Amino acid sequence: MSGPMRRIETDLLVVGGGPAGLEAARAAAEAGIAVDLVDAGFRPGGQYWMQDPTGAAPLSVQGEEGAAAIAKSQASGVAFHAGAEVFAAFPDRRVLANTADGPIEFVPRAIIVATGAHDRAMPFPGWTLPGVMTPGAGQRLAKLGGASAGERVVLAGSGPFLLAVAETLVKLGKPPVALIEARHTDLAIIAHLARHPGRWREAARLLVAARAIPERRSGWIVTEAIGDERVTAIRIAPVDRSGRIDRDRSETIGGIDALLVGWGFRPMIELTALLRCRHEHDPALGGWHCITDRASGRTSVEGVYAAGEVTGIAGAVPARLSGRLAGLSAAADLGADTAGDESERASLGEQLARARAFSDGLGRLYAPPADLATLAQDDTIVCRCEEITRAEIASAFAAGTDAVAGAKIWTRAGMGRCQGRICGAAIADIAAAETGITPREAGFNPPRIPLRPVPLSAVLEATRDGQE
Amino acid sequence: MGMKPGAGMKADAVVVGAGVVGAAVARALAVAGRRVVIIEQGVPGGAVSGASLACIGTHMMDEDELPLLKWCCDEWAAFAEAAPDFEYSRCGQLRFLKQESERRSADEWIGIETAAGLSPTLLDPEAVRRIEPELTGPIHAATWSPNSAVVNPFLAVRRLLEAAQAARATLVSRNPATALRVVGGRIAGVETADGPIEAGIVVIAGGPWTAKLAATAGVQLPIVPRKAQCLATVSVPRSIRTVVGACKAEGGVDAGYTQIQQAMSGQILFNTVLEGGVTAAGSPDDIPEVDRAFIRDSIATLLFLFPKFAEIDLLRSWVRYEAVTPDDRFLTGPAGPDGLFVAAGDGGTGFVRSLGMARIIADLVAGRESPFRRDLYDPARFDRRAAA
Ligand SMILES: Cc1cc2nc3c(=O)[nH]c(=O)nc-3n(C[C@H](O)[C@H](O)[C@H](O)COP(=O)(O)OP(=O)(O)OC[C@H]3O[C@@H](n4cnc5c(N)ncnc54)[C@H](O)[C@@H]3O)c2cc1C
Repeated sequence: MSGPMRRIETDLLVVGGGPAGLEAARAAAEAGIAVDLVDAGFRPGGQYWMQDPTGAAPLSVQGEEGAAAIAKSQASGVAFHAGAEVFAAFPDRRVLANTADGPIEFVPRAIIVATGAHDRAMPFPGWTLPGVMTPGAGQRLAKLGGASAGERVVLAGSGPFLLAVAETLVKLGKPPVALIEARHTDLAIIAHLARHPGRWREAARLLVAARAIPERRSGWIVTEAIGDERVTAIRIAPVDRSGRIDRDRSETIGGIDALLVGWGFRPMIELTALLRCRHEHDPALGGWHCITDRASGRTSVEGVYAAGEVTGIAGAVPARLSGRLAGLSAAADLGADTAGDESERASLGEQLARARAFSDGLGRLYAPPADLATLAQDDTIVCRCEEITRAEIASAFAAGTDAVAGAKIWTRAGMGRCQGRICGAAIADIAAAETGITPREAGFNPPRIPLRPVPLSAVLEATRDGQE
Repeated sequence: MGMKPGAGMKADAVVVGAGVVGAAVARALAVAGRRVVIIEQGVPGGAVSGASLACIGTHMMDEDELPLLKWCCDEWAAFAEAAPDFEYSRCGQLRFLKQESERRSADEWIGIETAAGLSPTLLDPEAVRRIEPELTGPIHAATWSPNSAVVNPFLAVRRLLEAAQAARATLVSRNPATALRVVGGRIAGVETADGPIEAGIVVIAGGPWTAKLAATAGVQLPIVPRKAQCLATVSVPRSIRTVVGACKAEGGVDAGYTQIQQAMSGQILFNTVLEGGVTAAGSPDDIPEVDRAFIRDSIATLLFLFPKFAEIDLLRSWVRYEAVTPDDRFLTGPAGPDGLFVAAGDGGTGFVRSLGMARIIADLVAGRESPFRRDLYDPARFDRRAAA
């Protein structure tokens, strides 16, 4: 049930309590602006600075950093609203969020969107088996519940995040049994790292975690998860440097009970898209992302700023920097006295450019292999909500439609409960593979109100005095 | 994937727009033996037709159009027999009355439709609940039209296009017709970014975009875009059996409009537009969000009728611009240069009418008489009225 609606008028609403949002909120609050921050989690921190829901002391470096950042934000006067899920936003910048105690309406003068990222999943045979999940889901389970996804976990896919999950699992005393990285280890990675000494410590830490994994492969890909009630084995095959999979040299790894497989992250652009900010597509930045002026975080829509992963996947360091920049410039635009901030902003801008160069480079190095969209077979379910197979989507394309929108209209792929959040990018890749267009041309499912399913009673309450 | 118009693509007829109207026109022309190219700027069925609730019915629609509407309903039933499944279901339609004052209008409509050979009735709330058990809200009465049906709008368009393709029509998607080609005062095809498609007949079934393309041949059509919006819940077990609407009456649902139904997928689709909210102007190229008043009124009406649904999750909303003409009827027939036809201006209920509009176009092209009153749809009717 939902209670009566609360209305909060404020200068600045920050959506998302990860590194970008927390830094943005604090910077603006310290400049004397009234700031409210909403986050869907029980406690702010986001994915990277994830906090224990019971309030227990943090176990990891990131958890400690996050706790400190939350404390600083709180001290600066930011009003926190945890457990609040934003489900609507209107052109007049009013934002509706739902909580366990009913809806809240925010009436801010400006908005900073810092909603982070979600895992990039790619359907393959067996991906719907229990025990198969994304690395991000595995990481959440470990950080929030202190539980490993299984006793014998395989980590697979591509990207440095796999090593971060390995590190968490090692700390839990459950090191993964195998790491299957699609990218070949080569000099390019070492050369890239060599150019960014600021990242050597982190890299060394992750390498230690990787060494605890008995079976490590690079240049291999999981082509199938096998099991009856749960995943018990996987098929893997080599991928060459141009991204082609050689199924003739497949091998099987058995005796496992969990598979964490993912292909990096995608920006969570639902709110910026709903607010009609301009977006662009770049595979190295995770696909569709919100375009901002890097020096100010301004989007193409007046009064709306974006920071962190929404503006292109880059990791926690650029997120903090872009968050702080967005917070400072929003405060200035809202009339705060920010004289003397110019030199700080200039220096933040330079740091951000350097941090971005590092992560953009990584993004390009760990681009998913070309053959990724060939993993899903004819009978593989692509859209889990509506149970639509690849063959159904392919036959719609063969009959004359195309793109993500065409697959949706003709097959219902992306029309179910998750509204294409899980399968949308995969459908774009499949559309590209089947019809020869680019993933960019394949488009994305435009998010609409509500951004998340919300009870009718709560929506009614939140729109009671609805004007046009 | 659709074909690409290359150099020298030729056809007898080009149909612009692969919405339900264009798909139906293409099918009718192709089945009659013409070589047809259907050209669509986006994805087939992705514009207004893909946003439709696709009720196929005659109830409380338009007295003058009843013969055509009846023919359309029969034709949809026949197509459902012939084509692969598109979730055609003759579920019937209820139109609720909130108060006694709406009775006069309900009785009048029942009289008109009965005279036309249809069988609508008036039901008290208890009888309504025998048909629609979850409709427990405090209504005064409801009219019942047992013949109304619904179809899945996406599949229906897909099946019409498949039937056209089976009769050798070619579908070109994601490729706008940028202009009409007119040579020596006669239509000669359409232009596209990839080159022209030559044809002696062009039918513009472009929904709200129709006037824009017609204007490239100097033809002015009185079609304006009107905002249409809808909401959907997550899938729930079957709980609404019919199409539930408001009685058409002065002051009925505050002189607005409402439609509620449950799709085969289990999602409940619903919209209520109260007076004043119906004519928001805009451009079909720039689709905004639903407005707050619309969300509120739609949910309030749904929960007034079905109070038990309060805790079901809202899943989605959408907005489209439908094509509206001054008298709310289609512009279907010849327009401007010889060989040019239009079939657009659906006024918000073009799904049911699409097959009838296709029939009119096919008869005109074949030089046959139509069983319907063509004057109702003549694109030139407003000029004539203005001249008179
Ligand atoms: C929420 C809602 C509920 C509805 N409920 C019902 C109902 O219950 N019953 C009913 O009968 N009707 C209903 N309707 C109305 C019905 O859906 C429409 O009348 C019908 O779909 C219109 O079909 P169309 O083919 O004319 O338009 P569209 O589907 O818009 O098709 C026109 C097509 O032409 C294309 N096009 C335009 N210009 C060009 C060009 N230059 N080049 C290439 N392509 C072009 C467009 O991209 C588009 O795909 C409803 C509509 C809505 C929005």
